[in-house]
Amino acid sequence: MPAFVFYILTLVVFFFVYTILTWGLNLQFGETGILNFAYIAFVAAGAYITGVLSMGAPKPGTGESYILGAHVPFPLNLIAGGVAASLLGLVVSLIAFRRLRSDYLAIVMISLATVCYDVVNNFTPLFDGADGLNGVPQPFVAAFHLNANTFLYVFPFFALVVAAVLWWFMARLTSSPLGRTLRSIRDDPDVARSLGKNVFGFQLLATVVGSFYAGIGGGLLIELSAAFNTSAWTTPETFIIFAALIIGGLANNVGAILGALLVPVLFVQLPKFLPAVPGHPALVPEIANMIIGVLLLVVLWFRPEGVVPERKRTFASILVEPTLPSEGLVGVFGRSAS
Amino acid sequence: MAVGFGLVTASIIAIASVGLTLQFGVTNYVNFAYGDFMALGAYFAWQVNTAFHWSIWVAMVVGGLGMGVVAVALNRFVLGPFARKFSGSLIYVLIVTFGLSLIIVNLVEAVWGPTYKLYSVPLENPYHLGPLLLTKDEIIIFFLGVVLMAAVHLLLTRTKLGKAMRAMSDDASLAAVTGIDTRRVTAITWFLSGLLAGVAGTVLGVNITSITPSSGETYLFVIFAAVILGGIGRPYGAMIGALVIGLATELSAVAIPAYKLDVAFGILVVVLLVRPQGIFATAGKA
Repeated sequence: MPAFVFYILTLVVFFFVYTILTWGLNLQFGETGILNFAYIAFVAAGAYITGVLSMGAPKPGTGESYILGAHVPFPLNLIAGGVAASLLGLVVSLIAFRRLRSDYLAIVMISLATVCYDVVNNFTPLFDGADGLNGVPQPFVAAFHLNANTFLYVFPFFALVVAAVLWWFMARLTSSPLGRTLRSIRDDPDVARSLGKNVFGFQLLATVVGSFYAGIGGGLLIELSAAFNTSAWTTPETFIIFAALIIGGLANNVGAILGALLVPVLFVQLPKFLPAVPGHPALVPEIANMIIGVLLLVVLWFRPEGVVPERKRTFASILVEPTLPSEGLVGVFGRSAS
Repeated sequence: MAVGFGLVTASIIAIASVGLTLQFGVTNYVNFAYGDFMALGAYFAWQVNTAFHWSIWVAMVVGGLGMGVVAVALNRFVLGPFARKFSGSLIYVLIVTFGLSLIIVNLVEAVWGPTYKLYSVPLENPYHLGPLLLTKDEIIIFFLGVVLMAAVHLLLTRTKLGKAMRAMSDDASLAAVTGIDTRRVTAITWFLSGLLAGVAGTVLGVNITSITPSSGETYLFVIFAAVILGGIGRPYGAMIGALVIGLATELSAVAIPAYKLDVAFGILVVVLLVRPQGIFATAGKA
């Protein structure tokens, strides 16, 4: 396989993965207004669980140690990763959402991400510490006799199928009355509460479903690269997904796709394929990260609604517009007479 | 032994958390780039400490002042305008500070490199202070914390500026109505916040003997724990919170050294569950 094709196919998978991740965060922050600064920890939970459930028990003599080693057949390990991330989301929200205002919640979340990182990094029995999981069996490889290269011809299609299913579900969810309730909580939780909505329950739901998306995305990541360790999920990674979401457009699933293409794919993954500056191996990604930060500030200042703004959801599309009887009345409604 | 380390750590956390909480009180949003402020100040200090061979304590003052100026500039050109634009939804300003954090940490890494740096500090034998065994640097850090806390106390209670800061912390629009130049007070508060961040970042580097671009970020949640324990926006609460967190982390280091900082997170969660407004906070704000 030419190196160029290899890069392109890898980027295609990254694109689908980050689209899924951005949809999950969009449900939490864009639709419901939950400032989840620990999002990447949920991605990591999905990745680790998918990984250990494909690797089987730790092989003696390799020095590796991890929990839950098993050979779960392919799509099930991915779903298990998503469920694991959801469970983490459930536990966190049960503790954090009941009483906290949004900035306290953000503090707890960013602290949670650091502490999760610390524990996984230091406590090797969990997921082999800083070395992380290596040699994770990739799907289809054994069944179709693929190798590391030909695997990349198959995997983008599978990632596409997963993304399509998740798109369908997210589109249904956000356009349903439930989506409307979530947005009302985002705009004013007190008003939503006064209309009899169980704000806590809906926040819980948005976190759990959003975390499922995070977990699935994480699972796809570990299957793509066959390895995962703590360096892949530091807090700046959460910021990358926030930047994708805000630049693409909050509360808009199409905007999330665009944001995922712009930020994580073009600015994070693509520069990794650029040649390094001699003597400064990390300079290219460092500059790319700074550009992402600046880009986010510029978008927030000049176009806070993002590239693809939230669709105005009005009843006009449902109701037939009444014909107005006289020009005078038209004037009252502030429309031109012509 | 651990109590001595605990007091030194408490001093560092106190300097950092008072800087964070002062700024929150006046501007009413959390600065998630504060850990990177600490790192940037620490690198300024490292630069003058190693390039000009100035004593680390002089370098620390330079790092603090430099970070103070940077903080004022960031407020003037970035955070202030955003805070006015999004005054109804400060949640976006949190994201702006989060974005600043990404920019600063990568800038520091690009300028000074990703690997750790060492301060040039002379090696010394530790002193016995009663049951405690501390180096001269640790003793200086402890007293530096005490002196800075006293200075903040005097500033808040004895000066017109401190009175204006407390007034803005209670109600910014009411303070503006009474003729307080809120923009000026905000700018000075950012200077103090940056100064304390730079000093705290440097003494943190002296205490753990090295600095990295992310050393402030990894310490940030410990500072958050101290700030929330005392009630966010409350300088005196932050001092007591720092003492509790400092002692708790160093005492637990005896049993679980790798996770000593994570103890702070445990305390944070328990406090937020039992008393979300902070243990020492009065009713009202936050």
